[in-house]
Amino acid sequence: MSAALYHRSLLESIVIYTVLGVAVLLAIFPFLYMLSLSLQSDADLFSGVPVIIPSQLQFSNYIDIWERAPFARFVLNSFIIAGGITALHLIFDPLIGYVFAKMQFPGKGAMFAAVLSTLMLPFFIRMIPLYILTAEMGWLNTYQGLIMPFAMSAYGIFLMRQFILPIPDELIEAARIDGAGELRIFFTVILPQIRPALATLGLLTFVFQFNEFLWPLIVVSTTEMRPITTGLTLFNQEFFTAWNLTATGGVLLFLPSFVLFLFTQRYFIRSVMMSGMK
Amino acid sequence: MLSLNNWRTRQALIAYGLLLPAIAYFATYFFYPIVVELWASFYRGAPLIGEARFAGFDNYVQAITDERVRRALWITLVYAVGTTACTLVVALGLAAILAGPVRANNMIRAIIFFPYIISFVIVALMWKSLLDPYTGILNSILFMFGLEGQNWLGTPQTALPTMIAITVWKDVGYAMLIYVAAIQGVPQTLYEAASLDGATRRQAFFSITLPLLAPTTLFLAVISMISHLQDLSAPYLLTNGGPANATRLFSLHVYEAAFVELNIGYASALSFLMFIVILAITFIQFRFLGRKVSYA
Repeated sequence: MSAALYHRSLLESIVIYTVLGVAVLLAIFPFLYMLSLSLQSDADLFSGVPVIIPSQLQFSNYIDIWERAPFARFVLNSFIIAGGITALHLIFDPLIGYVFAKMQFPGKGAMFAAVLSTLMLPFFIRMIPLYILTAEMGWLNTYQGLIMPFAMSAYGIFLMRQFILPIPDELIEAARIDGAGELRIFFTVILPQIRPALATLGLLTFVFQFNEFLWPLIVVSTTEMRPITTGLTLFNQEFFTAWNLTATGGVLLFLPSFVLFLFTQRYFIRSVMMSGMK
Repeated sequence: MLSLNNWRTRQALIAYGLLLPAIAYFATYFFYPIVVELWASFYRGAPLIGEARFAGFDNYVQAITDERVRRALWITLVYAVGTTACTLVVALGLAAILAGPVRANNMIRAIIFFPYIISFVIVALMWKSLLDPYTGILNSILFMFGLEGQNWLGTPQTALPTMIAITVWKDVGYAMLIYVAAIQGVPQTLYEAASLDGATRRQAFFSITLPLLAPTTLFLAVISMISHLQDLSAPYLLTNGGPANATRLFSLHVYEAAFVELNIGYASALSFLMFIVILAITFIQFRFLGRKVSYA
């Protein structure tokens, strides 16, 4: 609403900033509490009164946790899995998007509709046959078993197609006349034009794949292949652990997303606002 | 003319070649599983991996007549509808404020949005520690004010509402951002006209902004319902279905039937039932909300 139409009374301002203050506090507090817990000693934790600022910062929690479970390996696995999936998305989503946006061939409409229809087939519904398929391929407890089911997405293909459509056909025709093949056109003409969209796709894919919990829970049974999401959860279930060490693991899982968000925050938010508008 | 035809055929062939990985991928990971699942749902035992015999609609009949399945479906509906409704109302309220001139606007948006991009593993860990009946800080704070603490996730009456509240906490920032974008997309001239006609800002919000947000609301409601009808992370990580099955969502029921009991045929039928429920609810949402969508 434009500022000209906006006359706020003092009371309204107070109400608005109170609401926002409460919302911000609610959003932040659990993180601060986790950070505080991660630095607390058992004495603080079981003192019977709420401790927000630990009596002494027990940084040794951050050393202890690496000794209790292979967290370094968990973190590495998460990066390999989320990174692998993101790389595949960045290659295939725009390539398939390009074919649907700029090439002519019989059956194009039907095939594009088939791709979009997969948005209606949620992962949970496909979970049981996917597990059996992965087991039959011998891919349980492997990176490819964790990566391949998420190698492309209809949503990513759709998003890339939307960004490639407005690129002028003349640009592509000119390259074709110069004798460039379709792949060459894709890499030298198309990709440079959609760099911001690629960044959006990569960022969103990485962050959400980093959080994936259900699939690794099902297909990974060995400790060393666990990503940090299931690694941390099963670590807590297998060894009874007090909240302070659990919180330390939580901070480790939280840190990559937080750092990524901190540096790309404005861009990230713009991407989300844009990707939600159809 | 022949050369043009040649060129067309060539381009079509190249296109199919480029599409090959996508065709293989979607066939393997989307269409094949759905077909196989439908097939397996008509078998008793462990089709695909072990012994099974054809049983017609037995699995479906068993599912529909099982009291626990009906209860799980009902709890799932309450969870998905409760989460979606609360998320949208809170998000719309915050967006109505943040679409206007507010100090530190970008920072506030970023902070409220942030919980949306972290893993539910962390969300569960944080809230379980906050709500812990013995060491958690919430009960300690309530105690300071002379109020009685609760075992929030461990009491049948409070477990499901608590789970809904935690999911809303995580989801609200995303819906808020989408609403802010939509509110800012409403043409200024509509507000100017309304203000000339003497409409108050509240009237303008309810009779201009809200109706124009119907497509956004539809979009948010559909994706929220689809994701929470099949939500396994929340019950698995927060309560494991307890206490007294008060948060035993349908997804947890299917997960246990398939991966704990290895009752593949029955679990496939349960999954397929959920698929039908999701399709039906999505369809109803389009009918109900879609009618209110105007393209002004």
